[in-house]
Amino acid sequence: MQTLWSAWMQYLPLLLRGTAMTVELTAAALVVGVLFGFLLALGRLSRVPALDTLATGYVEVVRAIPVLIILFITYYGFAELGLVLSGITAAVVSLGGFYATQYGEIFRGAILGIDRGQTEAATALGLTSAQTMRRVVLPQAFFTILPPATNQLSNLIKDTSLVFTISVADLMYQANSALSVNFLPMDMLLEAGVIYFIFYLIIAKVLGRWEVSVQRRRN
Amino acid sequence: MHIALEYAGTIGVGGLKDVALTVVSLILSIILGTLFALGRLYGPWPVRTLIYWYVEIIRGLPAILQLFIIYFGFTQWGINFSPLTAALIWLVAYGTGYAVEIFRSGIMEIPTGQREAAAALGLSSRTTMIRVVVPQAYAIMLPPLTSFVVLQLKNTTLLYLIGFADIMYEARLGVDATNHAAILYFMAALAYLILSLIIGRVGVRLERNVAAYR
Amino acid sequence: MSNDVVIRADRLSKRFGTLTVFEDVSIEVKKREVVAIIGPSGAGKSTFIRCINYLHTFNQGTLEILGHTIVGGHNHPSKDVLQDIRTRVGMVFQTFNLFPHLNVIENITLAPVEVKKVPRAQANARAMELLEMVGLPHKAEMYPKRLSGGEQQRVAICRALAMEPEVMLFDEPTSMLDPELVGEVLAAIRRLAKEGMTMVLVTHEMQFAKEVADTVVIMADHGVVEKGPAREVLESPRTERAQSFLHRVLNPEEVPDPLEQEVLPIGGRR
Ligand SMILES: Nc1ncnc2c1ncn2[C@@H]1O[C@H](COP(=O)(O)OP(=O)(O)OP(=O)(O)O)[C@@H](O)[C@H]1O
Ligand SMILES: [Mg+2]
Repeated sequence: MQTLWSAWMQYLPLLLRGTAMTVELTAAALVVGVLFGFLLALGRLSRVPALDTLATGYVEVVRAIPVLIILFITYYGFAELGLVLSGITAAVVSLGGFYATQYGEIFRGAILGIDRGQTEAATALGLTSAQTMRRVVLPQAFFTILPPATNQLSNLIKDTSLVFTISVADLMYQANSALSVNFLPMDMLLEAGVIYFIFYLIIAKVLGRWEVSVQRRRN
Repeated sequence: MHIALEYAGTIGVGGLKDVALTVVSLILSIILGTLFALGRLYGPWPVRTLIYWYVEIIRGLPAILQLFIIYFGFTQWGINFSPLTAALIWLVAYGTGYAVEIFRSGIMEIPTGQREAAAALGLSSRTTMIRVVVPQAYAIMLPPLTSFVVLQLKNTTLLYLIGFADIMYEARLGVDATNHAAILYFMAALAYLILSLIIGRVGVRLERNVAAYR
Repeated sequence: MSNDVVIRADRLSKRFGTLTVFEDVSIEVKKREVVAIIGPSGAGKSTFIRCINYLHTFNQGTLEILGHTIVGGHNHPSKDVLQDIRTRVGMVFQTFNLFPHLNVIENITLAPVEVKKVPRAQANARAMELLEMVGLPHKAEMYPKRLSGGEQQRVAICRALAMEPEVMLFDEPTSMLDPELVGEVLAAIRRLAKEGMTMVLVTHEMQFAKEVADTVVIMADHGVVEKGPAREVLESPRTERAQSFLHRVLNPEEVPDPLEQEVLPIGGRR
């Protein structure tokens, strides 16, 4: 017991440093994923056939490829072709590029999902199309988007753990470097696991509960 | 271009291993997932709680961390799994966690009227489960099940990290030998893309079959 | 229980949590009798009819049915008793509740084959007879989703009849149907009544109740407000509550506008 806790305590600072990297990566990839995802959704809903095809093609291809391979293509593949990216940049580009397909589909679904009767009713009441968007469509879409978006955020955090393979010093990387020094793989992996799990609980439970309560208040 | 040809064979063989592993683990996870889902819904409270936390842990921890716990973690306690055994244990454990939720929400979507009608006809709860609830749940499950199959297939990319000789492993060996990362990883991506497309097609075909009554 | 009484509910009470749905409801159904239950929405008619085959438990009172006695409260009947009641009592639901993954003939034969172990060929033959009776033999291979509401409800009636029940329960069998489809379902029920089936029927179709029912029960305000021979109750109700209910149902255009006192011209300003 003594040794267990001392090992956990001894390596906690190292793991927390990794955690900081994990959080930064997640935040950066989230911003890229949401913004690019929004563009993809607009592209797929656009009336310009070329934009639609381009966005659809991107989404269908990229989301079928495992994140690890995307990571290797952006890091090793691009480098071979002369575009040398740092590990962190490659990580943000890969994760952002992949999660853009997920967020894009969520946005598209939410916009398509709004009952046409809603816009018709708003128009019949004399609201302008901007007012309709702002006061009727977006508030409704927001709450369809939130649950799957949170879900993807928790997937994103978990997928950042893959960046240790391209030597980005995230939580998983630090756990691996710790266990290769102290030969306590179970302890180090479980300690990292606890940290990941705390993030998961915060995102899935706390945010999830908040969403439910907001939604209940609205109904 | 000759590099592509040189490695197409080995990457293909790696792909077959991935597919075989995916199929085996999938069958086991769906069986276990169904049982766990029934336990989660109808079992006594300790069973329900246990399954609840099992699912949360599988969904809450990064896939790679789970795989490493099984392959590396257990060595700390003197338990050494071969890469194949560790891969199979993890894929089934992980798949079961996801299958439980898919199956559980499938069952919960079935209107109560269905059970009431079955009860009113005198069907036992076992027969109601087997003949009325479960078949409908599987039909509702098909779309999420298709994405689940793709997810499991993609998960096999991680197996090379414990030395299992799959698509990624072969691609990686090729890159180490030739330094042609772009083409070889692109080929790996292509292999997954093709497999995902096939799964998607099969899924759509199955959905069309059950569309007769949905 | 006198020999020809099939169902006797004695002062049944039902609560959902703190909500009292009905209290002290007593009815008696004799063999070959048709009892219609009518009353305003929310009076607890559906809840009551579901207590008869124990799809709902009840809190107080005694239910005697087909030789079994169930006492309300915590004494649940055994599995065997429930199974016996449910195989001998057929039920038709407002929302049909056909099994969507089974075609028409499979819907009808499921229970006879599974519960009564009737050989499949015999079950199929009986199902076809029943489908002939309701005019749907050509739909035997179709899935419920492809049928109109009226057709689905007629199949649901066949499904219940395939168990050769001694009593049939109908919970508003036509209230989910488009008006032009109501007739075909009522025709099937009318035919059953003529053949002497014992039935309890919750309905909003007053004319039909008057025609097929021997006894009418009016439920309102958490209980039975009037019961008796169909014609008597429907044509000259004795209690004030029954009178006002029937008046409202028969003259919907006379129901007063709750805003009438305010005398606001529609579209105008105060
Ligand atoms: N499962 C339930 N849980 C809680 N309350 C219920 C439940 N089922 C019914 N109720 C309530 O019991 C009351 C009676 O419902 P019931 O469906 O029996 O009325 P009804 O007479 O059949 O009405 P309708 O003519 O509209 O079908 C209603 O207030 C209803 O909200
Ligand atoms: Mg009702």
